[in-house]
Amino acid sequence: MQNFKSKLYNYEVEPPGEIWENVHSELNAKKGKVVSMPGLNRRPKIIFYGITAAASLIIIFLISIIFNKSEKHQFENNAPLTKTERQLLNSKKIQDSIALNNKILEGIINSKKDKNLIAEIYENSFNKIKKYITIAGPGGQPVKISPKVATLIESADDEFPPRPVWNKKIEKWKQIMLSSTLSPTSTNLMDIVQTSSSNDTNE
Amino acid sequence: MQELLYKKFSSKMYGVCLRYSGNVDDANDLLQEGFIKIFKNLQKFRGEGSFEGWIRRIFVNTSIEHFRKKIKLYNVTEVQENTIEDTDLTALDTMAEKDIIALVNELSPGYKTVFNMHVVEGYSHKEIADILGITEGTSKSQLARAKGVLKKSIEKAINKIS
Repeated sequence: MQNFKSKLYNYEVEPPGEIWENVHSELNAKKGKVVSMPGLNRRPKIIFYGITAAASLIIIFLISIIFNKSEKHQFENNAPLTKTERQLLNSKKIQDSIALNNKILEGIINSKKDKNLIAEIYENSFNKIKKYITIAGPGGQPVKISPKVATLIESADDEFPPRPVWNKKIEKWKQIMLSSTLSPTSTNLMDIVQTSSSNDTNE
Repeated sequence: MQELLYKKFSSKMYGVCLRYSGNVDDANDLLQEGFIKIFKNLQKFRGEGSFEGWIRRIFVNTSIEHFRKKIKLYNVTEVQENTIEDTDLTALDTMAEKDIIALVNELSPGYKTVFNMHVVEGYSHKEIADILGITEGTSKSQLARAKGVLKKSIEKAINKIS
């Protein structure tokens, strides 16, 4: 085995002559490329630093543009509404309010139960939200009223025959309501009624 | 200086290249690549060990690098590892160098590389494993297989002659 190893280890074959020529020419070509000139070595570094600086500036510029755009966009999103937008929004709110009002009043009117009882049920309800009904006010603004008042309004329209004395009082109250922005509640309704009665007496 | 070195070592290194490559074209490329590396790195030779050993190592590494993609080494079961020393290759000793090279070149790139590195160049299995990025076990099993294949080839060759 040792003999075999030495046979292969020292195995020699004459290579083609062109190989040396190739090696020689390649080495000379590489030598020719390495020409050291003072100043030239520095130039690639300067170019590299220049490119890096330019790239950094471009990146900073792009980031600032993107940042400004997003900020502007945010500002636009938070900008106060225009008059038209506000009007549209208000009219939508009013429409919604009127629709809700109509729905509630319709429920009260169409109910076969005693309307005062319905109002009582609303008044005594544990759910505070149900204690008030939103209706469209004189200027079309949403106004909260108690179910009892809603019943009275409905009675004033002769859909539920109330007592004649109440008709007059409620008519007056309606006038007061229309000329005032005051929103009556179940507690101050009686004051209004009383005011109305005193006016009648004075007349 | 460069030409002198080339003339002194080119035929021996060409033999190395032929052993690893198996064909003249690749061997020519390897010889050229190897000598360019040597001339460019002459200053790195620190005088530790023989100069020929340093040159040979560069050629072996260049050859391995050149054929790394072709060298696929599969691990063979450890049992075959025990048969390494049992494989009788004494018949190879009686054969001519050219015929032995021809037989070695019939081996697959993986077997051939491990066989050349261990048997001819004298690398240990650990060194082979480190250079080729394999385990020592794989190196041993590859050698065992290479020897097995060589043995069969020798038997065939002898039968043909007789």
